[in-house]
Amino acid sequence: MAPLVVRGRIWKFGDSIDNGNIDGVMEGVDPEFKNKVAPGDILVAGKFFGMGASDEHAPRFLKQAGIAAIGAESISNIYQRTLVNIGLPAMECPGISRLVEEGDEIEIDFTSGKVPNLRSGQIGSGDKLPEIALRILQQGGLIPYLKGQFASKETRSQV
Amino acid sequence: MGMTITEKIIARAAGKERVKVGDFVNAGVDKLYIKDLRFSKKEDAKGLYGVLLEVLQSMGTDRVWDAKRIITNLDEQPARTDRRAEGQDMARKFAREQQSILYEGAEGGIGHNVMVEHGHVKPGEFIVGADSHTCTYGALGSFATGIGFTETIGVLATGKIWLKVPPAIRFELTGKPGPCVVGKDIVLWAAGKIGYEGAINRTLEYTGPGINEVSIESRLTLCNMAVEMIAVNAIVPPDDRTVAYVREVSEGGFDILQSDPDAQYEQAYTVDLSKIEPQVAAPEYPANAHPVGDFRGMKIHQGFIGTCTNARIEDLRMAADILRGRKVQPGIRLIITPASFEAHRLAEKEGLLEIFRQADATVTSSECGLCVRPSLAAGEVCISSGNRNYRGRMGPKESSVFLSNAATVAASAVTGEITDPRELL
Repeated sequence: MAPLVVRGRIWKFGDSIDNGNIDGVMEGVDPEFKNKVAPGDILVAGKFFGMGASDEHAPRFLKQAGIAAIGAESISNIYQRTLVNIGLPAMECPGISRLVEEGDEIEIDFTSGKVPNLRSGQIGSGDKLPEIALRILQQGGLIPYLKGQFASKETRSQV
Repeated sequence: MGMTITEKIIARAAGKERVKVGDFVNAGVDKLYIKDLRFSKKEDAKGLYGVLLEVLQSMGTDRVWDAKRIITNLDEQPARTDRRAEGQDMARKFAREQQSILYEGAEGGIGHNVMVEHGHVKPGEFIVGADSHTCTYGALGSFATGIGFTETIGVLATGKIWLKVPPAIRFELTGKPGPCVVGKDIVLWAAGKIGYEGAINRTLEYTGPGINEVSIESRLTLCNMAVEMIAVNAIVPPDDRTVAYVREVSEGGFDILQSDPDAQYEQAYTVDLSKIEPQVAAPEYPANAHPVGDFRGMKIHQGFIGTCTNARIEDLRMAADILRGRKVQPGIRLIITPASFEAHRLAEKEGLLEIFRQADATVTSSECGLCVRPSLAAGEVCISSGNRNYRGRMGPKESSVFLSNAATVAASAVTGEITDPRELL
């Protein structure tokens, strides 16, 4: 189950980080990152996060490293869907790069779209996820969501 | 307010009268494309089929949502790694057990071309694919977008996908392209114009009188590279060329939808095709595009004509026009990988393969090939007809990739440096 309100320490990255550079826990950008990140941390990225290939290997690395949420200036469509589907909440938050500094503690509220910086007191906002994405996240991803759905319904046409 | 063709297709797939930008819909999928690699255990220890069977079991069935709408293709022929062989083995098992469609060997090639050539893409359809270049199919007037591993399982189980209706950007084409200017040059020019992020989570629509001058092959290239601008999809509204092509490769009817005259576009650009020169994209972004002349004298080590972007018969003919009676510069490698065995057969029939042999080019089996497999050493430079030139795409980080059309690749292989193909016509 992924909580829909996530509070944690942030790691800040720049613009245009493609799938290949995200692989191996952001290895292409910071080879040491995998040793620094701790479970519950939040990844903040710039524009165009997750551009390029649709391989799910790389985003799963982020989840395995314990990243609890992602807030980025913008996220490619395929990537955002994939992150939601593997149970790692991710939201587009225009302006977030200016709102936070490395090491800040922030909160991302995926239900309201609010992004308060707990150090500075400033509050940013993001593009709220649709109901369906929130339900998928609550179940921990698309696969557990589907399994849960079918368990309570008679045919797949009702999903 | 009118709707764009993309909005109309989404509305129909979602069972709605109309949709507008920003709406969330649950759409029914007409076709699902899956590449062999998705069946390997790279992304999940249970593999795609293993996870799918668990989901199906929870539904009390062992059958996918609709086997005749699921098409799998083996993109590497033959498999060269354990991972790939494992993926292909599972892809065959899946197709056999579920009685879905699978292409390999002489029927196959690169999946996106195989989908089109075998008539699985029709105007008005809502198509998703487990590969980011699924957007290619918009060339025939369908909505098509890439999805990830987990979402593929969701579609296999339910036949549905949630989607946010994207805003649209329109490119209005006028005029007629000059010599050695094809879809690749138009799309590199467009990417250069709006930037590599220019269409993020948006639809690209290519329309206007100039589109009549653009072949089906070139339209496939135009739409293929939409994802390099981070678009959700790209689309060419169907015209006579589309209808003639789709009737030739498929049976049954299809919906001819068009954008309404009062449809809303977030941005619109007009492009005079006669003003576009052959384009080259410098490392490390496809949108880093400039006229070929800007790169004159840039030494190369390898030329590659291949990929779902540019290795169809139009591209092979362009390359042959340059290579006829010439030879690849000694010390330079030119690798030609036809996009499908169908393109391979046509090239054979038209004598193009013989021209390539005489020119000392290497012609390979039809597959994704060097686009997804390292072939460069540190410090080497490749000019490729493919779609991606990110750092390290074709070798170590110290290698680099320029992108162009097939004629420019061929001309550059002949001279050993980036060359305007019009000089060799």
